[in-house]
Amino acid sequence: MLALLSAGAHSEESPLRGGTIAYAVTNLRWATYLKPEMRVDCPQGVNDGPREQFKSLYPDDGTVRELADTQLQREVDSWYPTTAPDRFPFREAGGAVAIGMNLDGKVGPNDFTSPEGVPGVDNQLYRALGCINSYRDAHGTNDELNSYEVVKESYNRWLIEITGVENLTNSPHVEVNVYRGLDPLHTDATGKGILPGGTQRIDARWGARFIQHYRGRIVDGVLETEPADLAFPWSVFEVVADEYIHGARFRLKLTPTAAEGLIGGYADIETWYLQLMRSQSTHDQSYGQLSSISLYKALRRLADGYPDPRTGANTAISSALRAQFTQVYILPASKAALPATASLPHYSPYAGPPFPRSASDELQGHEKDPASSSSGNGQVALKP
Amino acid sequence: MDLRWRRSALRLTVIVSALLAPLAMASEAYRPVPMPPEVRVAATELEGPVFTDSKGHTLYQWPLLQMRNGVTGDHLGTSECNEARTDVSAGLMSPYPGGLRLPDLSEHPSCVKMWPPFIAGAAAKPVGKWTVITRKDGSRQWAYDDLPLYTFYLDKHAGDVLGARSDRPTLDAPAVRRPAGPPPDVPPGFAVKTMSTGRLLVTEQGMSVYYSDSDAHGKSSCDATCAETWIPLLAPNLGRARGEFTLIERSPGVNQWAFRGRPLYRYALDGGSHRLKGSDTSGWHNVYTQLAPRPPAEFTVQDTTAGQVLADSSGKTIYSYFCGDDGVDQLECDHPGETDAYRIAVCGGGDAARCLKTFPYVIASAKAVPSGRSWSVMLIDPASGRPALAGQPGALRVWAYRDRPVYTYAGDHSPGDVNGDSHGEFRAERNGYKAFWLRDDFFSRDQPGPG
Repeated sequence: MLALLSAGAHSEESPLRGGTIAYAVTNLRWATYLKPEMRVDCPQGVNDGPREQFKSLYPDDGTVRELADTQLQREVDSWYPTTAPDRFPFREAGGAVAIGMNLDGKVGPNDFTSPEGVPGVDNQLYRALGCINSYRDAHGTNDELNSYEVVKESYNRWLIEITGVENLTNSPHVEVNVYRGLDPLHTDATGKGILPGGTQRIDARWGARFIQHYRGRIVDGVLETEPADLAFPWSVFEVVADEYIHGARFRLKLTPTAAEGLIGGYADIETWYLQLMRSQSTHDQSYGQLSSISLYKALRRLADGYPDPRTGANTAISSALRAQFTQVYILPASKAALPATASLPHYSPYAGPPFPRSASDELQGHEKDPASSSSGNGQVALKP
Repeated sequence: MDLRWRRSALRLTVIVSALLAPLAMASEAYRPVPMPPEVRVAATELEGPVFTDSKGHTLYQWPLLQMRNGVTGDHLGTSECNEARTDVSAGLMSPYPGGLRLPDLSEHPSCVKMWPPFIAGAAAKPVGKWTVITRKDGSRQWAYDDLPLYTFYLDKHAGDVLGARSDRPTLDAPAVRRPAGPPPDVPPGFAVKTMSTGRLLVTEQGMSVYYSDSDAHGKSSCDATCAETWIPLLAPNLGRARGEFTLIERSPGVNQWAFRGRPLYRYALDGGSHRLKGSDTSGWHNVYTQLAPRPPAEFTVQDTTAGQVLADSSGKTIYSYFCGDDGVDQLECDHPGETDAYRIAVCGGGDAARCLKTFPYVIASAKAVPSGRSWSVMLIDPASGRPALAGQPGALRVWAYRDRPVYTYAGDHSPGDVNGDSHGEFRAERNGYKAFWLRDDFFSRDQPGPG
C-alpha cells in the first residue's frame, strides 16, 4: 500500500495522473503564531480592542453621551480609517523570529529570521498582528474564525492543480492553476475530518475571476512557484470577501494526499482591510481585542511594498499564509468546459472608498475626549 | 411559471417561460382560514398573500428575538410596543453599551407611532387563530397565532408591505417585524419561500422544486437515468390533489406531484436550500407560485463572484440601505423620512456631501415609468437625504425599492464588483448597504425574510 502511495508512483491508484495532481484548501492562517518557546512576548502587553478603546474614550462616568458622537463615530473611524496618529498606543510584535519568506531577495534591518534559522524573512504583517490577541495564540479568535470558515463556506473552495509533474519529488517545470471548486469536501463520518480523494468541479462561472496560472518547479518534494499576483476567496460569516496578494509565491510540501506550507507575498492593504471589515463586525473584532481602526494605521505604517505611483505610499505589506490542502480530483469534463484564458475577467485589488486616507484628511466629528493620549507610548517609531 | 434573467450588452431583457401561467402577474393561492370580519387578505407583489385590516393595511407581527445581549420583541400574548418614546440605545447590539442617546430625538417616534396596534373593537371575538389581547393601557389588540398585530405607518394602499425588509435578516439584524398571512395552498411536504425573484416553491426541507420543458402536461418523461439527477417528488400513498397541485402516476402505485400540470422534481446537485442552480440546465426551471415584479427596464444583471446582482445601465451594482436602531423597540431608520444620521455616518463619515459621492443615488431617467408598486421613482433633496417636494430646485429623481432609494458605490469599478456589499455596522445588518442580490449560490442573500 505504501509503495502505491509513494511520491514517485504513477500507478492507477496514485492520484498523480497524466502528470497532474490537484488539491483543495482546508486551512489558512496568517503566519503570525509562533510556538511559545520561539515567541517574544510583547514587552508592553497586547493591544486594546474596540471595547477597551470605547471605554477609554467614553467612560461610564454618568455623562450623557450621544450615539452619533460615540458609537457611530467609532464605526465611521472603522470604515474610513486614516493614517492620522493613533489615539491609542499600538504594540507591534518584536523579536527576531517570524514565519515567512524572503520576498525581496535581501536581508534587511526590518527582516526576521525564520524558525529554521533562515534570515531575510519579510513579514511585516506579523509585526502588525503579533500583539493582537486574535492572532497571537494557536486559536486566536479571528485566526480561528477565519480558518474555520475556509472549509465551512463553499465560497472559499479554492483549488490548486499542478500539471507537468514528472513526480512529486522533483519536477523542473510545472504549471499551477488556481480555480474555485463547486463541491463539498470529502469528510469522515464525523463530518469534521477532511479526507483526500474527493472530486471537484471547477466553478467557471462565478469563480472565473479566481482562475489564475503560475509557473514553478518541484524540488525535493516542495513546490515553489514564481511570483505572480494571487486573488482568492476568503469569506467569513457569509459575506463576499476576498484577498489579494501581490507577487504571491507558493512553497508547499507535496504528498499524494496533501500539500502544506506557505504562501508568501505582499498583501494588498485595502483588500485585506475590506475583507476584515466585511467579514467581522466590531462585535466580532472585539472578541480578540482587534481594533480595526488602530490596525489599519499599523498596516499603512508598516507597509513595505508596491508603492502607489501617484503618492509613493506603499500599498501592500509583506506577509505569509500557512496553508494546508487535501488532494482532490478535478473532473475532466468541468476542466474541458473552461473558457479561454484570454476571455477570463481580471480580478483587481480593491482601491478603497473614495475617501482620502492621509493624516490630513482625518474625519471630523469626534466627541471631545479629555482622556485621550496621543503620546504613542509603546509604539514603534515610524519606519522611514 | 419561471422567470430567467439574461444579460445582453447593456440592457436587461426578460425571458419568460410562459408555460405555467399567463404573462400577467399570477398571485399565489392561499389556504383560507377563519378570520374576524374586519380582516382581509391582500395579494402583494413580494410576500404573497398577507392579512390586512379593512382598509387594506398589511398586518405585521414582531416575534420575540434573542439578540446578542438580550431579548426584545413581543412575547406570545403580550405587546411590548407602546406609547413611550425610546430615547436611548438598549445595548442589544454588541459591543456597544446601552444608554447612548439616539440621534435626532425630536423626530424619533414612539413604537406605536411607527407600528400602530391593530385595535380590536369592544365586540371583537376570537375566531380560529385570531385572539384578542389586552394592552397595558387597557385597549384591546388583535393577535394571530398569539402574536400581536400591527400596521406600518408608511403603508398606505392595499398591497403595500413597506414594513418588511428585503434582505435576509441574520442573528445580527434588528428584531424585525414580519407580515402575517394565511398559509400558502400547498400540500404537506411543500413550502413557499420569498426570494428577490419571486415566491419560490420548495420542499418542506427548503430544497428547490423544478419542472422540465420535456415533460408533457400531466406526464413525466424523466426515466431512471434522469431521475438520478432530477429526483421526482413523490406523493405519499395518502396524498391527494389540492388546489393547483395534482398527482401523476409514474408507475402503478407510485405518484408524483405536479403543479399546474407540470411534474415536479428536486435537483440532486443543488447543494443547499432555496437554490436556483438547477435552472442552469437547459430545459429545467425553478417553480414559483408568483414572480417578483420586473426591475426597471434600464437596469442590467451582472455576474459576481457569488451570483448575480441587479445593476444600473452601466453595470454598477445596485445597493439597498438597511437600518434598525438599537432602542428596545428596534425601530426602522432607513426610510428617507426618518433620521439620516445613521446612513450619513456609514456612507459619508458624517458628511452628507461625501455620501453623495460614495453611495450615489441611482438616477431615474426623465422617461422612466415604474411598473408595479415595489419599484418607484421618488424625489430626494440631496442636501438632506429627505423626500423633496415636486418642483423643488435641486431635487433628484431617483429609483427606489420598497419606497427606499437605491444606490451604487463609488468603490465599484467593473461590472460585477460588489465592494460596497455588507458595508456598515454589523455587516450592514444594522446600518449599512447590501447589494441587490438576484441570485446568490453561496450565502442565500437572495432570500429576504423568513418565508
